[in-house]
Amino acid sequence: MRVILAEDSVLLRAGLARLLTDEGHEVVAEVGDAPALLAAVAADQPDVVVADVRMPPTHRDDGLRAAVEIRDRWPAVGVLVLSQYVERRYAVELLTTRSDGVGYLLKDRVAEVGEFLDALDRVAAGRAAFDPEVVRQLLARTSHTDPLRRLTPREAEVLDRMAQGHTNAGIAAQLHVSQSAVEKHVNAIFDKLGLSHTTGYSRRVLAVLHYLGS
Amino acid sequence: MGAVLSAGGRLFVGVVVGAATAVAELAFLGWAALVALIELIRGRHPAGIERPARHLVEVERWRIAAFLPGGGAVDALDDYTERRAVAYLGIRWLVGMLGGFVALLFLYGLGTGAVWARDLFVGRSSTLLVVAQVVGGLVLLFLAVQGFLGVAALDRWLAGRLLVPGDRARYERRISELAASRAGVVAAVDAERRRIERDLHDGVQQRLVALGLLLGQARRGTDRARSDEFVRQAHDEAREILAELRDVAWRAYPADLDSLGLAEALSRVAERGGVPVAVDCPVDRLPSAVETAAYFVVSEAVTNAAKHAPDSRVTVAVARMDQGVRVTVTDNGPGGADPSGGGLSGLARRAAALDGSLTVDSPPGGPTTVTAVLPCA
Repeated sequence: MRVILAEDSVLLRAGLARLLTDEGHEVVAEVGDAPALLAAVAADQPDVVVADVRMPPTHRDDGLRAAVEIRDRWPAVGVLVLSQYVERRYAVELLTTRSDGVGYLLKDRVAEVGEFLDALDRVAAGRAAFDPEVVRQLLARTSHTDPLRRLTPREAEVLDRMAQGHTNAGIAAQLHVSQSAVEKHVNAIFDKLGLSHTTGYSRRVLAVLHYLGS
Repeated sequence: MGAVLSAGGRLFVGVVVGAATAVAELAFLGWAALVALIELIRGRHPAGIERPARHLVEVERWRIAAFLPGGGAVDALDDYTERRAVAYLGIRWLVGMLGGFVALLFLYGLGTGAVWARDLFVGRSSTLLVVAQVVGGLVLLFLAVQGFLGVAALDRWLAGRLLVPGDRARYERRISELAASRAGVVAAVDAERRRIERDLHDGVQQRLVALGLLLGQARRGTDRARSDEFVRQAHDEAREILAELRDVAWRAYPADLDSLGLAEALSRVAERGGVPVAVDCPVDRLPSAVETAAYFVVSEAVTNAAKHAPDSRVTVAVARMDQGVRVTVTDNGPGGADPSGGGLSGLARRAAALDGSLTVDSPPGGPTTVTAVLPCA
């Protein structure tokens, strides 16, 4: 697949570029700040963009701002955001327009090369990828106030996998249960959370994370 | 005898000048009352009278310091308020007039004495009369001298009473100084933490992620030679991360400062400075807070020089003063440093927290001189 890398640490950028090239992907452009990222995407849309949240010019959340803008202007381009910290706000902002082709990983995760490449594949394919740590923290922060507490441990597990962006089949395999059992749990979750029954994998994530972010 | 005459002369001139200024003050008060009345009728604050009042008070302070010395507090302080200046003038003219009256009596006495002396010479006087005149004249002279001294004392007392701020005003000023410097310290600490966080996040942490990436690739690879190559790179990377971490820790706080003292720590700054630095630091151990502040002044100034004037030479001088130390850092770079920039303003706050001061002199074209004066309590 064709990738644009946006990361201000030269060293890490070079490492990522080499990894992706080794894996047979094409790194279309490597940039070090948010304006350059937007310019590169405008010039040549890749399959997926990998962007650091904290980048020049302001070193705050320039990368995230650029990611949101890319999702707005070029819906076909997947966006995988890397962050040093878990920020609920970032996850929510990424999901406010659409939840397909979007990912949010802790930066440390790139050391788990397999997970990172898997997440990249999912985002490029128009699905979602959320860091287990991001999801865990989002769940932990909201669970004391709301209907999430009414979930059974199994349902919470399913929701956790769901929020990470896995399909029902994937969840079933991970939890060693049948796919229909997972579907049953999912429907129970939607009921308990008061969400309408919707089809489509990505809209589930959107709904769940919207709910978590509220 | 000469000294007594000279002191008496100064006293006389001081009182006479004081009488003259009293006339000016009376005129001013009349004018000021008129202006204040007009402004009040128009419903405005009478602001125009404050500057001339200040000028007149300054003349009085000069007069007292020059002719009526002894009230030391009056010389030192010039931060009285405008309201106090007007109040002072409102009373001070009476003292001036009194002084003028004493001076007139004195001159009258001198004239009378001259007439009596002439009578003596032309033989119109008798011994008894002369004795009576001398005794009476001495008594009157004594009274006149007492009058002059009294007027001078009154002048000094009045200025000290109305122009020198009272204890309360001084405490209030000190409290506001302390509040400002305390807020400055908090801001400086926060800025410092932000800088350390930036150092850690943008440097060390990114390198560690890259290291993890290398190791991840090494584990994933099926090609043994390739994996070995990743591990070798990871090893190099680990070494560099350690060096960078040491640097970050050093910038956060130089451990040498506590164990070896300021001179040694400054020579390390010079070695790592990136520009030629000459250090002259002939002082023994200072209080820890002063050493730390001095160290960071030098460190920041050298870093700035290396960043903005890489071709310059830097001179560092630390000199003992009566109550503290003076730290001077000069570079012959192009000048134009901004004292309100992050680093320098942080240093100024650090110096203020020690009741010291930091000045930056950096005209366009250079040279740039950063001077910190740090008292040792």
